[in-house]
Parts: sequence; C-alpha cells; structure tokens
Amino acid sequence: MSHTVDIPQALKDSLRNFRFARRNAGHAAMVVRVNKQKLVMEEVDTFDDISPEDLADELPENSPRYVLLSYELAHPDGRKSFPLVLINWAPTSSEIGLLTLHASAFLDFQNTADVSKVIEVRDGAEGLTKQVIDSKLKVL
Amino acid sequence: MSAPEIHSLSATPITSHSFNGDRSQVAVSLNSNDVTIYSRQGKDWNVTETLSEHDKLITSIDWAPNSNRIVTASQDRNAYVWQETPDPQTGKLVWKPTLVLLRINRAATFVRWSPNEDKFAVATGARAIAVCSYDSENNWWVSRHLKKPIRSTVLSLDWHPNNVLLAAGSADMKARVFSAYIKDVDSRPPPSVWGERLPFNTVCGEYGSPSGGWVHAVGFSPSGDVLAFASHDSTISIVYPSGPVIYTIKLNSLPYVTLSWTSEDSLIAAGHDCQPIVFSGSAGGWHLVGTLDDTSAAKQSGGTRGFGVAGSQVGRLNSAAFHTFRQADSRGTSSPTSAAGSGSTDTELLTVHQNTITSIRPFSGTADRVAQVSTTGVDGRLVIWDVNNVTELTGKMGALRLH
Repeated sequence: MSHTVDIPQALKDSLRNFRFARRNAGHAAMVVRVNKQKLVMEEVDTFDDISPEDLADELPENSPRYVLLSYELAHPDGRKSFPLVLINWAPTSSEIGLLTLHASAFLDFQNTADVSKVIEVRDGAEGLTKQVIDSKLKVL
Repeated sequence: MSAPEIHSLSATPITSHSFNGDRSQVAVSLNSNDVTIYSRQGKDWNVTETLSEHDKLITSIDWAPNSNRIVTASQDRNAYVWQETPDPQTGKLVWKPTLVLLRINRAATFVRWSPNEDKFAVATGARAIAVCSYDSENNWWVSRHLKKPIRSTVLSLDWHPNNVLLAAGSADMKARVFSAYIKDVDSRPPPSVWGERLPFNTVCGEYGSPSGGWVHAVGFSPSGDVLAFASHDSTISIVYPSGPVIYTIKLNSLPYVTLSWTSEDSLIAAGHDCQPIVFSGSAGGWHLVGTLDDTSAAKQSGGTRGFGVAGSQVGRLNSAAFHTFRQADSRGTSSPTSAAGSGSTDTELLTVHQNTITSIRPFSGTADRVAQVSTTGVDGRLVIWDVNNVTELTGKMGALRLH
C-alpha cells in the first residue's frame, strides 16, 4: 500500500511504549501531527491523567491531529478496563491540503498503532466530551 | 460650518466605500466585480487602480487603517484580503489578494475589520456570521461561524472597541450582540455592561423594534456601552443594556439603512431619504436634532452644486451650455429642458444626494468626537459632510412630501 506520510521508527517505539505502559487510574493521551513540509509524522504531546474536556482544550481548533487515548472505562458490573482508542481530530476549519494529507495517512497510522477502536471528531471541542466517548465505546 | 464636499465618482451606484488611514485614497465598489481605488489629486478623485479577482458583485469593502489591508466580500461566497506587496519583477507596490474560505453557501453581504485588525467578521446570507482570523501555523485565514440563533440573512455588523463583541443586524428583524472571542487571537476581555466570561457564540443581547422590520444598520457608541440600530419600520432604537432601556424614535420619513456614531451622545443616520439626519441624546432620552443637508440654500443656475469641483477646468468644457447637455446626459433625458437652471429641477432632488445613501462612515476626527463623515449612495456620489453643520428639518425637504 502506498504511503503518503512516513512514520519514523522513533514514533513507532513511542507508540509501543504508550500501549504497554501500566496504568492505574485516569486517561492518558498521546498527540501526533503530520508535518506537511517534511511529509513525516511527529509526536507533539503526551498527557498523563487528563480529562476529555481538558484534552479538547489542548488540541488545536484549526489543525488535524491523531490522538491515541488510553481511556479508563468503568463497566456497569464494576470492572475497570483501559481500552486503547484512536481519535481522528479533524476540525472542518483546518487548511484543506493538510486535512486531505491527514486523511490519506490515517489508515496507515491506525495499522501501525494497531488500534481497532476509532472515534471521529470533526466539529472541534464540542465533539470531545466524556459522554461522547462513553457512548461511542459502548457501540464499538 | 463648511459646505459639504461633493464628488461625482461615477454614473453607476456605489455599493460600498472605505477610505485608507490618511484619507488619501478610497476603495469603492461600483456595483461590479472589481474594486476601484481612487486617489486624491488636488481637489479631484481619480482612478488609480482596479482590483479584479471576485466573480460576482462586491457587496462590501473595508480598509484597515493601521495594517493597510483591504478585505472585500462578494456575492460569490468568498472574501479576499488584499495586501500591498512589492512586485518581484518591477518592484512597484501591487495589491496581492489572498482567498479566505468562508465555507458559506450563500452570498456575503457585509464585512468589517475588528478594532485591532487581527480578525474580521463577514455577514452572510447563509444565516451565519463568519469570523475570520489568521492561523500562522498553517499560513491561512480560518473562519468560524456564529450561527445560533440567527434565522435569516445578516445585513450589517459593528465591532465593539474591546475587539471581542460583535453587533449584528439581521433580516429576521432582530439586532443581536454576540461574543466573537477567538482563543488564540484574543486575550480575555474585561467585564463590560454586556456581560463577562463570554465564550464564542454567546448571545449577550437580542433586541427588536416595536413593529419589527429588517435591521439594516447597527452601531456601538464610541465607548461600546450603547447600541443603536436602524430598522425598516422607519425607527431608530438606542439600547442601554445596563437598564435595560431601549429608546425608539419613530419617524414619518423613509427608513434608514446606515448609521454612524459621531460622539457618545450623538449619531447620524442616512437612507432612503437621501440626506444624513443627526440624532442626539443620553441615558435619559433621545431625539432628532436636524439634517446635515441644508436644502433651503438657493440653487445656483446650471446646478453647479452637483459637480463639486468648480473652476478647476477652464475653457470650453466649463460653459453653461455644455453643462446643460452634461446634466441631461447624466439624468438620461433625451433633450435638455429649455430653461437653464430652474427647469431641470423637475427630476432633480433638493438634497445633495440624488438617490438613497447606502453607506456613511466617519471621515475625520477621533472616534468619540467625529468632525466629518463621508457618504456614498446609489447616485454614484461621494460626499464629505461637516458634522456640526446641522440645520433644522423644515417642511420643505427635498425628497419628501409631508402633509
């Protein structure tokens, strides 16, 4: 399959470490962006124990990002699991060229990170709340 | 107390006008797809440049005085930001356009730069206002939409001095004050009479006039604490939000379509009556003061009042006979009337503007003490008025037939 954007080895190692890090409580997130000039993906931020609303505040309003989220899911029977969720943060006010590049490389990133659960957030900060994530995860 | 300066820029209507910072140039839309820039040479205004990029009629132009950028909005659903940059080959300064994707599916009707000139707001027919700011990370203009609770075309806008609040007049008969706070562009504004802690798209107030009617023009006072709007039911309303108190002045003249504050306690409105009218008041009440158009002044023979530059041309082009033919041509009559002067008042109005005034802007002075205002209208004239030259409105008014 053709790759439009390269994923450096360092990023792949970061993704592995993020996936296997032992978590006790809270949601952790890793934010990755596409560098349009160099056509390469780079890690931007990592957050430990952050709420979805704070995460929405940290993400840019007008730029697309890939967000790997380790979400603390409380099951109705009392269990706690930490599923890995990939959020496609793609606000419609982003620059069109960057948005297309981001979309074309998304499947590649998903396969590299090896995540099956995907949430699309296209309308900015309103679309990333605890309720939205909980309802989407129940379906997935 | 000086007479108004009259300039006939064209025979076509002037849709919108905007002066640059030092008032040496004016950018004008002559009901067409191009921006025409006139420069002042002596007493005349002459065409120096034409900016072509839009595909349809340009509805509104605004020239930022400090950053020297022009923003144009058009019926083709786009806005362009024009910047003067040196041309790589010739080195001359040319106007280079940058497209702004507004993401609207109807025409843009009105555009205004914010006071700090870091964002601009575009009123559209898509029942939304697009607030645009520059995203330096991606090197392009980003637009965010103010949608709720607008139910129809937005006709006019005005920014509050704090660079965050935006007043909008709409065809759903309401004047509203929105917060257009953009996260990376604005710092938190201090609390004002309109509210505090205002995220984007908060409605700080919604006002209408008693009989309803499209709100054609809105304006904040120089301090930003008072809002005025002109409505199609021939009323001017002034809102004091701290009360809340609304003073509505009902007029028996034709509606106003544009207004401009000249100080904290007075404003000038103009519209289908073809003359600028002055209103004055305070938190205790508002009333009509008079008109800037002295219609009782004697009409000179040949109607030279219509051509503000008298005596600059010499020789055969300045004779009275040539003038009568020129008048007839501009008025579209097939043959000039036989009596010089008085006969031609059949179709000529007694006011300076011969048709609706569509735009009034402060010309000189400070924001809270404007000395002159400029008006343009459907008759293709640009007139600069002295704000203090107010005469009482008498029965003998140019366009009206009062009973």
